[in-house]
Amino acid sequence: MSERAILVRGAGVSKRFGGILANDSVEFAVEEGDLIGLIGPNGSGKTTLINILTGHLRPDGGEVMLRGHSTGGQAAHVYAVMGVARTFQITQLFSRMTVLENLLVPGLTRPNSTRAEATRRARGYLEFLNLAHLEQLDAKNLSGGQQKLLELGRCLMLEPAVLFLDEPFAGVHPQLRDELIKRIQELHNGGRTFVVVDHDMESILRISKRLVVMARGRKIADGLPEVVRTDQTVLSAYAGL
Amino acid sequence: MRHLHVYVLMALAALALFFAPGMNQYWMHVAIMAMIYSILTSSWSLLAGYAGLFSLGHMAFASIGGYTSALLVKWFGIPIPLGIAAAIAMCFVLGAFIGWVCLRMSGPYLAIFTLGFAEIIRIAFSTEDDITGGMAGLHTEPIFADTTRLPYFYAAFALLALSLLLMGLLVRSRWGLFLRALREDEQAAAACGVAVARFRILAFAIASSFAGLAGGFYAHYIGVLTPGIGALDYMALLVVMTVIGGMERLPTAVGGAIAIEFLLELLRGSYRWDVPLLGITVHYDPQWRLPFFGIILLLTMRFARNGLMTPLWLQFMRLGEARAASAAVPVVREEDSRA
Repeated sequence: MSERAILVRGAGVSKRFGGILANDSVEFAVEEGDLIGLIGPNGSGKTTLINILTGHLRPDGGEVMLRGHSTGGQAAHVYAVMGVARTFQITQLFSRMTVLENLLVPGLTRPNSTRAEATRRARGYLEFLNLAHLEQLDAKNLSGGQQKLLELGRCLMLEPAVLFLDEPFAGVHPQLRDELIKRIQELHNGGRTFVVVDHDMESILRISKRLVVMARGRKIADGLPEVVRTDQTVLSAYAGL
Repeated sequence: MRHLHVYVLMALAALALFFAPGMNQYWMHVAIMAMIYSILTSSWSLLAGYAGLFSLGHMAFASIGGYTSALLVKWFGIPIPLGIAAAIAMCFVLGAFIGWVCLRMSGPYLAIFTLGFAEIIRIAFSTEDDITGGMAGLHTEPIFADTTRLPYFYAAFALLALSLLLMGLLVRSRWGLFLRALREDEQAAAACGVAVARFRILAFAIASSFAGLAGGFYAHYIGVLTPGIGALDYMALLVVMTVIGGMERLPTAVGGAIAIEFLLELLRGSYRWDVPLLGITVHYDPQWRLPFFGIILLLTMRFARNGLMTPLWLQFMRLGEARAASAAVPVVREEDSRA
């Protein structure tokens, strides 16, 4: 079996907020074709890690590498252009812009993109996400689940190498959650790489090929979901067993 | 008939240009000032309405533009158009610098910072009276030797049309889309690949250069330039014009400037009304015109945040659309309604 390329790597990443150590020398690598579930109790440092790996926070220690090259504290938009896309824990859409315009923004930041080409691709993704009929609606008028789908579509417009999804299933209607899971699986089968953070264990276990668990700012387990879920350290971190 | 509103606007512009020679000098001055304010409100709308950067330093850039052009013409005898071009360049560079300095500021912090900048500029121009003439004013070279205001009317018209064309092209381009994305959510815009810092700086630089153009033209039109042009009361007037018109669209910002400037003049003059109301007589005094606009501003912010002109503009945009088509597409596309 050929060795897969490492797309994003956090090497010994640490981050402190005042007296709280949110990430403590975390080693985290995302390989091409991964579908990683990143779980952990509240305050375990998952979102901080995503923020660092996508350029939205600078680590106090360690470094982030994209395809083996150190990012050297580049701005977040550089990560996006280099193929690292993300969604946010609380959906952050361009509320007073239409659904189509929300997708055109990332579409037009790509080098050599044209409006016609970006619009064509955006309509393709809206079709894929079942949002095509809403393209002229302001994003603020979408339901919570539709907003999560639109945020996923916005990531896809970057044609990213890896997508970090921060709590994509939180507060989403079960029907739309199933749709979201289906779309993630389809995209993964098509070759996309994902890191999904969520508290919804059922959904995470349904889709993950690899499970990473964090607790108190540290990575405490990393491996196949069926192995990690019976790990004693994980069980004690989650339920004190 | 598609784009009927464009033809109507062009016809109105042609009528204004054709009948301008017949206008009396007083109202022609009001029209020229309205056009200068229109450049200022539309460029402030670009900054505050499109990019969400609520700067209170816009009139300071008009002031810098005015003094730059006036002083360069006075000291070096360069042609006035070249002086105005230098004013635009100066404001572009200074605007970019201010944009860079307040990269991490937004909302009230940005407003207070830019207000502080404006006050520093105003006080510097007042204090350095050896150079600027201080509060007594700086006498400036007129653009036209003609004693009438007609050439200024045509020049102001041309500058406004050119400014709106350039700003319209900008807001319809991908840059316009990125500026609106910044206004909505800077972090999300960065996640989409928008170079947030670069576009914030560009927004400041471009808007300030249009303020510099307006200030440069004003300096050579008005004849005596005083530091008061950059004062907070003029900035407040600019905000009132833009917000009452509608700050998220260029045409509504222009509409606000024209409507308020003419209304201010109408309510300023020798009109004193005695209105009988429920048995008592209410006296209208011109002094009441400013509180009157304050009340309109409050009502606009409470009941029509998109401005009073926006619904009218959206209706106007639909002119000529077939009834069936309007039924099929009840909402004017945001993309089309901008610029």
